[in-house]
Amino acid sequence: MRRMLRLFVPLTIAGATLVTGMIASPAEPAAKFDLRSITLQQAASMVQQTAVSVSLLAVWILAAVALTLMSGREVRASSTEVRASALHCFTLGLVAVTSFVLTAIVFSYLIPFFVGVPLLFALAVFAVITKIYGMVAVFHAAGSIIAGVRSREQLASRKWLRGDLAMTVIGALLLGGIRLIPVVGPIVWGLASVFGIGTALATKFGRREPWFLAWRPQEA
Amino acid sequence: MKTESCLRYLEDPEANAGHLADCAECRALFGEHDDVPAKPLALDALPLAPWEGASHRAWPLVISGIVVALISAAVLCVVAGMTPLQVVERAFKSVQSMRAFVFTSADALREASRGAQIAFAAAFIVVNGVLVALLRRSPRGIDA
Repeated sequence: MRRMLRLFVPLTIAGATLVTGMIASPAEPAAKFDLRSITLQQAASMVQQTAVSVSLLAVWILAAVALTLMSGREVRASSTEVRASALHCFTLGLVAVTSFVLTAIVFSYLIPFFVGVPLLFALAVFAVITKIYGMVAVFHAAGSIIAGVRSREQLASRKWLRGDLAMTVIGALLLGGIRLIPVVGPIVWGLASVFGIGTALATKFGRREPWFLAWRPQEA
Repeated sequence: MKTESCLRYLEDPEANAGHLADCAECRALFGEHDDVPAKPLALDALPLAPWEGASHRAWPLVISGIVVALISAAVLCVVAGMTPLQVVERAFKSVQSMRAFVFTSADALREASRGAQIAFAAAFIVVNGVLVALLRRSPRGIDA
């Protein structure tokens, strides 16, 4: 089993990276960014794109605050996991995104048989919940890395810059700001999504319970 | 636990309490250990746990963050001449392209050859198998 995993895991990760890259890449090729030859229409389009990104950032911050208030301990557990075993979370995220896509294709294939629609809807809901929860965990992790408390003296001296809520908001603002940078921003945001999906699944949404029950034969 | 006396002490410690004074081995196991110096526990020397101070709610920071993001979004929308509905439509553009990708792929799969369908099924099983194998690993977080 372990040998098979050693063979399949790198191959699957390579395939998963390819699929994730295909999905994340923009549908239309990005125009060459040259400030001297930029037209008024292109400038207007850029402003509109920035407006959409900032509006989405505001929605993300509101969602992050609500989720952290509702289940702060779970978000913290997932944030700790993404910092403690980042590679595992990233691998799991890549494989999970690929699995979501392949499963969605299979369920779409089943649409003529009627079972496809509810299955596709359930998969979409699960994927959206995983992405939102995971992104909030990544916001918390990014905030903790940048502005986290390192010692008790620091903790005692800080008035505002401490606590789960503050870390989440700082992380959201930081990643949201990076997202506005052309080319680099969407890549960083996409990587954060992969990390987020990975950590959400690795910790079972912060509950740290096993996904599957282990079968133990009864001893005679 | 070598002698008869040791066994008698084990069977009835209260009746044979004097045995501890004679046997060093039993004294080490069951004695009061008053001679062991108690090491003071310096809590401040321990590393900071992730939950310490985590429940603190920094409302001024949170509210200012939300207000800054909302005002920036509103100003940019006004400058770009976009209504909230247009913003929502643009935001869901990526979801629509994702949906189109999935449906196009499903149509292509329906029309593909039997070999291609089997290869897709094999890829589906392998990816989900690896996903299950990765999900079986217990999270490290707190123990790391």
